[in-house]
Amino acid sequence: MARVTVDGKVVEVPNDANALEACRAAGVDVPHFCYHPRLSIVGQCRMCMVEVEGVPKIQASCTVPVRDGMVIKASTEKALAARNATMEFLLINHPLDCPICDQAGECKLQDNAVGAGLPVSRTSEPRRQFPGYDRTPIGPHVIADMTRCIQCTRCIRFCAEITETGELAFVERAGHTFVWTHEGRALDNDLSACTADVCPVGALTTKEFRFRKRVWWLDKTRSVCDGCEIGCNMSIEHRDRVVYRFLPRVQAGVNDFWMCDYGRFRSEDLNRQDFTVPEIRVASSDARKQTNWGEALDAVKVAVDRARNEGENIASKGRVLVLGSARLTTEENWLLKALFEDSLKVGTPEFVVDEGPKRRIRNKVDGWIYGTEAAANSRGAEAAGLKHTREGDASALSLLLSKKSSSSSSSSSSSSSSIPAVLYIADAAFTERANDPNFVSALRQASVLIVHARVKNALTDAADIVLPAAPLSGKEGTFVNVKGRVQRVDMAIVSAPIVRTDLEILLHLGGRWGVFDTQWTARDVFEKMQASVAGYADLDWDSDAVVGNPPSISPAAAYDVLGLDRNPDVEVFPRPSVAAPDRRS
Amino acid sequence: MSGPQKLPVAEQAENPRVGEHGALSCGRALSFSSETRSEFERLLARYPTKQAALLPTLWLAQREWGWISREAVDYVATLLDLSPAFVWGVVTFYTMYNRAPVGKHLIQVCTSISCHLNGAGEVYTECRKRLGNLSPGETTADGKFTVVEVECLAQCDKAPAVMVDDDDHFVITKDKLDAFLESLK
Amino acid sequence: MSGLSPIEPVLLARRGKPDSASIQTYLADGGYTSWKKVLGGAKSGEWTPAKVTDLVKASGLRGRGGAGFPCGMKWTFVPSKEKRGDKPVYLLCNADESEPGTFKDRLLMETDPHQVLEGMMLASFALDVKHAYLYIRGEMVHATEVLNKAVAEAYAKGFLGKDVLGSGLDLDITIHRGAGAYICGEETALIESLEGKRGHPRIKPPFPAVWGVWGCPTVVNNVETLCCVKHILDRGANWFKSIGRNEKNTGPKLYCVSGHVEKPGVYEAPIGVPWETLLAMAGGVKGGRKLKAVIPGGASAPILTAKEIENLPMDFDGVAAAKSMLGSAAIIVMDETTDIPKAVTNIAKFFAHESCGQCTPCREGTPWLHKMLKRIVNGEGKKTDLDLLLQIAGQMGNGMTICVFADAAIAPVLSGVTKFREEFEAYIAKSNHPNFALAAPEDVTNKVAERTAAGIH
Repeated sequence: MARVTVDGKVVEVPNDANALEACRAAGVDVPHFCYHPRLSIVGQCRMCMVEVEGVPKIQASCTVPVRDGMVIKASTEKALAARNATMEFLLINHPLDCPICDQAGECKLQDNAVGAGLPVSRTSEPRRQFPGYDRTPIGPHVIADMTRCIQCTRCIRFCAEITETGELAFVERAGHTFVWTHEGRALDNDLSACTADVCPVGALTTKEFRFRKRVWWLDKTRSVCDGCEIGCNMSIEHRDRVVYRFLPRVQAGVNDFWMCDYGRFRSEDLNRQDFTVPEIRVASSDARKQTNWGEALDAVKVAVDRARNEGENIASKGRVLVLGSARLTTEENWLLKALFEDSLKVGTPEFVVDEGPKRRIRNKVDGWIYGTEAAANSRGAEAAGLKHTREGDASALSLLLSKKSSSSSSSSSSSSSSIPAVLYIADAAFTERANDPNFVSALRQASVLIVHARVKNALTDAADIVLPAAPLSGKEGTFVNVKGRVQRVDMAIVSAPIVRTDLEILLHLGGRWGVFDTQWTARDVFEKMQASVAGYADLDWDSDAVVGNPPSISPAAAYDVLGLDRNPDVEVFPRPSVAAPDRRS
Repeated sequence: MSGPQKLPVAEQAENPRVGEHGALSCGRALSFSSETRSEFERLLARYPTKQAALLPTLWLAQREWGWISREAVDYVATLLDLSPAFVWGVVTFYTMYNRAPVGKHLIQVCTSISCHLNGAGEVYTECRKRLGNLSPGETTADGKFTVVEVECLAQCDKAPAVMVDDDDHFVITKDKLDAFLESLK
Repeated sequence: MSGLSPIEPVLLARRGKPDSASIQTYLADGGYTSWKKVLGGAKSGEWTPAKVTDLVKASGLRGRGGAGFPCGMKWTFVPSKEKRGDKPVYLLCNADESEPGTFKDRLLMETDPHQVLEGMMLASFALDVKHAYLYIRGEMVHATEVLNKAVAEAYAKGFLGKDVLGSGLDLDITIHRGAGAYICGEETALIESLEGKRGHPRIKPPFPAVWGVWGCPTVVNNVETLCCVKHILDRGANWFKSIGRNEKNTGPKLYCVSGHVEKPGVYEAPIGVPWETLLAMAGGVKGGRKLKAVIPGGASAPILTAKEIENLPMDFDGVAAAKSMLGSAAIIVMDETTDIPKAVTNIAKFFAHESCGQCTPCREGTPWLHKMLKRIVNGEGKKTDLDLLLQIAGQMGNGMTICVFADAAIAPVLSGVTKFREEFEAYIAKSNHPNFALAAPEDVTNKVAERTAAGIH
């Protein structure tokens, strides 16, 4: 470690740190643009100027490797003058777009201009323009506006070093330098929206969020993406019950600073709530009618009890088939088991998870990690005690699915105990096949089909009882990711009445048998289940390991939470200008 | 103000447009002739990385096709295992790679300080005027001449200096301009 | 002083000789004697890399590309074999002569390419280089052809290639064409360009001698410097030291005189020759007019008035004492007919065009300076413009940027506006700008930058 003095305060930093990081470790927030702990150092923006004792000229602190005993003066007149100069230079060509720019409120240029720069502009020369490269999509998710660009190269370095796809490059030279792809190509790698995160200004913004909300109105809630089992930490950004976007939350061992486009833009789906009241189908009339929770859950209890008690000489197991889901939290899956298997003794709930397209995210600990499942929590569901039914496995569900073609003539045999009397599906969207009429008709063989649902699909059309459930933004609970890490999601939005979370639905259902207390919170369930769920025993609901880092104020500076946690692979010597990967040697 | 846009930006096509600095298309896929390919292989052997051969390869491309088109960039990028955006970034950094077809003769007038002191500014203006009121970088209607101004050609003792294609020409003052242009035709 | 007595041409000795570029005439004139001598003594140990380096150090040779850094000392910055392990050392000959007013390297390459090559060979021996590159301006097509032919001739004669002249050493030379970028004359930008990238200068440290092209130790030397190396090996360090004004400024120097002189051209003289001698060599000011100003070292050097350059020794330290720089020894002469504001605007346009665009002060500052100057000379100046120009220039250099391009860009503006202010004010007095008389608001100066800028230039 090296002992470095910053403005009189002594800090110890790793030997491979740079002066900017030493300043930040000492609590001196030196303004900067091009520096990013996961990208190579270029020292281009010239904003992070400090004085280093013994060196006559002003230095860009990110380019100065620390040395034991180094004395840095970050707040001298000379350093401030240098930053004023850089800020003035940046503002002479930067458009006055703040009123219409999405980045306002989380813009490094705005933030740094508070502390540096002159109070009045000294120039009235015409500003440079980039006709054809302003307010134009540069990819399926990213809109580029080159008039706003401050040429920091974070986006170029991201595409070159993180995704290694090299779509972006500097074009032209001198004052007319800008960033673009080669013509006709889009910025379309699977992490493309991360470039909008790292861009310190509004030069790169996302199409989905464009003009939707001013960022200072957004509330930020910790959550975890449920698109695949990687479990990227994210923050749900919302206001007045509407989810506006997801942003990645920093988590070194999972997603680092990044989030893939697929996961990020699942935010668009969360505002959809097709079912807002319970619906039940009474007797054999075709249409369901809307009802209240009391009637709906009573109907569920009646059906389940009848299935358990009917036919004294037939084992009650198998008459009720319960399906959990990898899209539910571990707590919710555990409640299913605790109620239906442990208390009501109708057998082990099962779950199925689709194989999804291969997703990936990169962090500094593991490099690339991959997700192949279409949901976040198969490991949590398994740990909670549910049976993970895979293709070819023998189980009550597979038996049911295999029986579908011959089920039409099964009227006589309630002897076929493979057809459940009650099929309780705690997540109607648990598989893509829920839209497949053949799959649904196989499930429909059950006498009573009960689902928790948010979005309409073929399965909800066929169901007898539909219980409206909240989306991810309404839930509290934990997911277990691909590396076995338990991660908590928090409730961002209290669902509009009378939608309930899956947890609440199960508590109220269980309460009818006296098994659960309807006052329990997700935390209570977590603590109750810890003893019996693998991997949960030593955890604490409030611990950092489970909760993760707080959402950052600005995605462009999301690393504030990490302190000094830089990428050891970034060379100590500042790396020369960015090049595309050379695979020859 | 950018060009006319009918749709709100968020609804426009997802792929980026070609702007005024964009790589123009030459309309067909390109590849080196076999002689040029051999020359490329020989020069590749003189560098420890493929990337280092980029500038020389772009010269080969310009010699082959006269200018660097979008397809030329794609081809060179494939040859050298580089991203096309990176290659385009290099092409646009240097002034000598033509990004559009040029006239049969590229007239490059130096206007740096020593030539400026010897009247080069006027030579540049007059040259364009006499070839048909060309704007900077414009080609004559018959496709014969393109006129550009360039920075110091290192011929300051023979100011005003002019390069035409690869050839140096000296002391092209305003009164010698007519004769000079005649000699080129 | 004997050091400044006129000398027989050294670097330009073969200029004007028929077929001077060919290896036959070069050999006939005694060329490659040193290369053969050094290679011959390599196996026996009579000639070692350290011996060559010591000779160059003893000669006092300073880089002829613009910085004037002691050449031999630069060579010693390359880490020893033990320290650098398997990493090869590279020699890059900087033939990207782009400084306005400079045309000496072109002359050397076109008329006497083997002199350049022999210099490269000797330097390669001193530095343990196996492959040397000569980076030449894309515009110098004729010189490139001449050099390529010379390289082929050298290979054919066995002076290059494997086991050169039986010495057990290998050496390859490759001629590499640039494509039009002044900034690629900066050594780290040249390295970046050679690597096949945009010519963005690198942050220093690390210095090229430790971490250069392809991450390997690299020495970048100017064409003229390497030619001097050849002559030092031919005639010795003491001979080289005997030429020139003092022990810090030694050897013959090529001066490029252009602008308003009768006989613009390249003149060889002992370094430190007095200004008046040099001007006389170039035939004096054109038409016998009065001298107004001189830029002694290319467009990057501060302008000197006629008074300031009186009796000035034209070497690194002499010109530095006058608060300018010898640089590439590109002497641009401006007589009384010169419109200084227009000249400064022309130079500002050059720098605005040639900035690489990497770092903020230069990328934004150089066009800003140019735009303001253009507005002034186009009759739209404002009263506040001149002080603002000085302030902008004052906050661009001196460590604000990655390389010293910005320091170069502000030199003509600072010196021109300061020393010829009345010419600029004359333009502003005739201005049509509607706001031309508005005073600047009280607090609108980067006062702190002003105080620090006072220490610059």
